[in-house]
Formats: sequence, C-alpha cells, structure tokens
Amino acid sequence: MIYVTDGSFEGILAAVFEAFRNREDPEEITLGGDFQLSIAAGIREIPTDTGKSDRVWRGVQNRISEKSLEDLYLAYLSEHPRVGLYIYRYIKLGLKLGHKVEEYLQHPDVQAIYDLSRRVSKEVHLFLGILRFKKLKNGVFYACYEPDNNITQLITEHFASRLSDQAWIIHDRKRDVFALHNGEEVVFTTGLSGIVHEDCEEEYEELWRRYFTTIAIESRKNLKLQRSFMPRRYWKHLTEKQL
Amino acid sequence: MKLLDKLQILADSAKYDVSCSSSGSSRSNRPGGVGNASLPGICHSWADDGRCISLLKVLFTNVCIYDCKYCVNRSSNDIRRASFTPDELCELIIQFYRRNYIEGLFLSSAVIRNPDYTMELMIKALRKLRHEYRFNSYIHIKSIPGADMRLVHEAGLLADRMSINIELPSVSGLKLLAPQKDPGSILEPMGYVRERIMESRELVLYKKPQSFVPAGQSTQLIIGATPDSDLKILTLTERLYRNYQLKRVYYSAYVPVNSDENLPSIYTSPPLLREHRIYQADWLLRFYGFRAGELLDENHPNFDIHLDPKCDWALRHLDQFPVEINKAPLEMLLRVPGIGYRMAAKIIRARRIGPLGFEDLKRMRVVLKRARYFITCSGRYYGGIDPDSGLLYQLLSNKADNKVMAGQISMFG
Ligand code: SF4
Repeated sequence: MIYVTDGSFEGILAAVFEAFRNREDPEEITLGGDFQLSIAAGIREIPTDTGKSDRVWRGVQNRISEKSLEDLYLAYLSEHPRVGLYIYRYIKLGLKLGHKVEEYLQHPDVQAIYDLSRRVSKEVHLFLGILRFKKLKNGVFYACYEPDNNITQLITEHFASRLSDQAWIIHDRKRDVFALHNGEEVVFTTGLSGIVHEDCEEEYEELWRRYFTTIAIESRKNLKLQRSFMPRRYWKHLTEKQL
Repeated sequence: MKLLDKLQILADSAKYDVSCSSSGSSRSNRPGGVGNASLPGICHSWADDGRCISLLKVLFTNVCIYDCKYCVNRSSNDIRRASFTPDELCELIIQFYRRNYIEGLFLSSAVIRNPDYTMELMIKALRKLRHEYRFNSYIHIKSIPGADMRLVHEAGLLADRMSINIELPSVSGLKLLAPQKDPGSILEPMGYVRERIMESRELVLYKKPQSFVPAGQSTQLIIGATPDSDLKILTLTERLYRNYQLKRVYYSAYVPVNSDENLPSIYTSPPLLREHRIYQADWLLRFYGFRAGELLDENHPNFDIHLDPKCDWALRHLDQFPVEINKAPLEMLLRVPGIGYRMAAKIIRARRIGPLGFEDLKRMRVVLKRARYFITCSGRYYGGIDPDSGLLYQLLSNKADNKVMAGQISMFG
C-alpha cells in the first residue's frame, strides 16, 4: 500500500496513525502527490488530520527520548523521498523498544533517521556561518540561499537573537519561503519572489571580498580542502565568491 | 589612505597567525546591542588555503620597532605600513557582522613606539567597540609581550579570549630569532592571565561576576623555523595545558617570508604535513587521554610523517592489540587507530543492545580501513594479516595519498 500525504509533518504522522489502525506496513509514505506508481501496490490518500497526528506525537513522547523526537523532526526537514517511511518504522520500533531505540544504530531504519538528522543539523550549522546578508537600498538586510534541506525555520531563530535590531529577510529561493524580521518578530511567508529588489550597497561587499582574498596564504593554497568545507553548490550566493 | 588598502595591508600582515576559533564563549544579546557569542563557534567562510574564517583577523598597526627575524612586519623590511583608527576598525566590525561575514574580531598588533603604548591603543579601540558601538560578540585579543600587567588586565575584561604567542618552542630559538624579546615577557603574562581567570571564576560564587577572558587563553607555536623536535614541542604543549590551563595551543607551519642565515631557506615550503601531525597529536593529548611521553620519547623524538600519531603509537604497542570491540573500555577504544570519539561513543551505546559483529560496525559507518587491524568482534579478527608482520606499516602509512588537512579546521574548539 502506498500512503499519499500532503508532505507536512502532521500529514506523515497522520499516515503513521492510519498504518497502525489498519494494521498494515505501507510500502511508501510519500511527501505529496509526486511519486513512482507501482503496479502491485494500492494507493491510500491520507488527509492531514491534526487530531490523529497529535495522538501519535503524544504517544511517542511518552515512549522515546527527547533526542529521538528531535531526530525525527530534523530528519523530516531533509525532504528525503523515503523519510515518511523511515519515520513510520522508527516510531514503530520506538514504541516497542522505548528509549533504547536511539541506541539501536545497528538497525538500518534507526541509522537512516540518524543520518538524515545529522545531515540537516550539519547544514543548519554551516548556514549559520555562510548565509550572507546584503544591505538593500531601503536599509533592509536581505539574504538569499538555496539549502538542500528545509532549514529556514531553524536558522531564523539564531539570526533573530543575533541581529535583533535589524530589519532582515531570509529567502529560501528553492522553496519560495521567506522569513521576515522587522526588528521585533519573525513572520514566515511565501510568494514574495520578484518583489525584493536586490540592488545593494557595494562598499562593504568589496571590503569583504578584498579581505577574503588577502587572508589566504599563497603557499598553503588548497582549493580541494576549501571545497570540502564549502561545497561549490553553495557559492552562488556567497558574496566573497562573486567577483 | 583608503580603507580598502588599509584593510589589505593589516590583514595581510596578520594572516600568519592561525588561531581563528570563535568557540568557548556564550553570551546572549542585550537590548540595543549587536550580536551574541555562540558556544561551539561558527566558521563563516574558508579561504583558498582551506583555513576557516571566523573572526576578522587584523593587526591594529603593522608599524614595528622590533626586528624579529621570521616576521613580515619586522622593522628592517621595506613594506607598506598602516594603522587603523579606532572608529574605522569599529565600523568595519559592525558592518561585517551585520552582513554575517564574521563572528567577531581577532585583534593583534605590531609594536608601535613601545608595548604599553600599543596595548593602550588596542584597549581604546576595544572599549569603543564594546561600549559605544555596543558590540556584544566575540573578541580575541593578542596581548603584546612586555606590556604592563595592568593593561593585560584591562584588555582581559573586554575580550573573550586572550593569546600570548610563544612562537618559538625553545628559549634558544627565541634568543636567535627574536633577540629583542625577553622570554620572561611571554610566560609572565600567561601566568597572570591564568590567575585572573581563576579568580574571576571564584568571584562568581559570591558576587556579580566580572567576566575576564571567559573563553580562556591560547598561544601559537611556529613549526619548522627552529630545529626543535616534535617531542620538544609536544612536551611544551602539555605543560601549557597543564600548568597554564590554556584552552588551545595553535601551530603554524613556518612560511618563509624573509631570508636570514639563521632561518630555513626562503624556498622551503611550509611543513604542512608535520603541522598536521602535531595538531593530531595535540588532539590526542586533549581528548584521548594520551601523554606526550607516551607518544614520543628520546629514541623516537619525531613522528613518522607518513602515519597519523595514533597509528604511529599503536604500531609501537602491538602487544596491547587487538582489543575486543564488545568489551574494551572507552579509554581503550579511543586508542584504536581510526576510531574517533564519536564512533567510540556510538559503539558503546549500540553494544548495550546486543553484541556487535563486523557487519554491524560497517552499518554504523565505523571507518574500518585502519581499525580492522586492531580489533576483534566477538573474538574474531578481520584484519586478514598477521599484525606482527611488517605489512601493517605499509597498509597504514599514507605515502600514496597525501591528504593534508589543516588540523585546526575539523578540530576547532
Ligand atoms: S614584534 Fe611582532 S610584529 Fe614586530 S617584528 Fe616581532 S613578531 Fe613581527
């Protein structure tokens, strides 16, 4: 059976609920309607029902550790096509093993959630460093990026406390997600693409680029090492890489 | 002079100082303030040499009265000289910070007029940055050798971390290459800073804490400018961690910038691999329970450059291997080549559920390339060769693939 969800975390949890109720192991739990049809499997559309998802979440909260819950949510943000299924299997195992599930790294499903969660938190940490704001002509600081994972919500918290007196926008261009900060609170929204004019002040951009090229020691040049920390796909929005 | 040129000159002359970590301090923002400090440290970019950029690393001035032989800024060199004004520096930091280019400031300086005068200039700039510009994030200041302790104290109240660079790992090296510096002028402030740090921690107990370099102090040693052995360097390192409670010792492969009869030739390339080995060994001292005297001794004063120091040690202590993955205590797992802290912790967690076999380790993504020769899984050995045969050295040394990783990067903190 293939379970089709709307791709939200609640949607996946609702699918977990249905799977338990129907006493069946789904072959897939999809994130949205975009999936591979398989001839043998039937399709079950899962409406997102927060009553059901809440019940699942409360149920696991009592059984598995904080760390496991966090791993599940972080893994979800990876948007990996199979993450729905991994979450289902992890929860099923968690209900059986309790807190121990977190340690059961020999188990492929536990390892899968662990890996995805790590992948997401690594990207979060990376972007706390490599997100770049430009100062637009209207005084607003604007940062545009295209992360692999859906991490805007996670990085926003950091910048809200760090750059608390600034008006800024963080824009995930891949997902068309915007976080707007007006100096007091953050609002998430979509569908603003094209509204932001990217004209910005150049003075500090130029100073930063000059600093960046100067600080490298020529006789230690190691571009491979540089790329291993800062893969090329991220360069597009890096001020210091736009010459 | 244009700010762009100043920045270039003062960054260029600061770039041989390796420390860039922004870790170890945690401070939340305050209303009307700019920034906070994040405990684990954040890298903001990686330069073309692969080194992490976390702090804006500049000299306050590169005008110097001294003539240390190994240094670009020595007075006898004919180079462009510049100094920041406090406001230029503050504005630069704030604007960079607001764009998320940097985590904070690493301020060092050449010695203009005299050590006290230089230190006063730096303190003035820092005070402005903290109080007028309300900069709340990370500041690392390099203390000027020979400055009055009163100034060291004042600087320490403004900074998160302070470093006093030893640079040359032996007194004889110091006498030869930095004859105008007094070796005592390095260790004295280091001891002083340690006392003040401890004192400020005690104060916390009964009155409002006066935060004094909360992220501790660090230093830098230059590798390869003098003939000092790895043993000598590591023994010094160990003493610095133990006796002076330093947070970090940084190592900098000597990059020749001047010719001098007492220095390696200007054409030598920086000993990057050696630097890397010493960073690895430093890591073993701090987190893996090794002592310098175990890793090296008079008969074996230098690391085999083709082995990582843990392998080097393990090959000389084969009698302690193989260890049983399902029984070995943490301390011993940590001594297995190829098994790092994270993996050891993972193994200990997972084996509580049930005994681990070789396949389980693979599934847990334990890197077995080196470890397989030093472990058994439920009594079985998977190395496939007799560990006592000379083959092991061939298999473990990386003469073929010389992957040089600057140690500070994956290991900051
Ligand atoms: S005092 Fe510092 S800046 Fe001046 S020459 Fe010596 S090492 Fe270089």
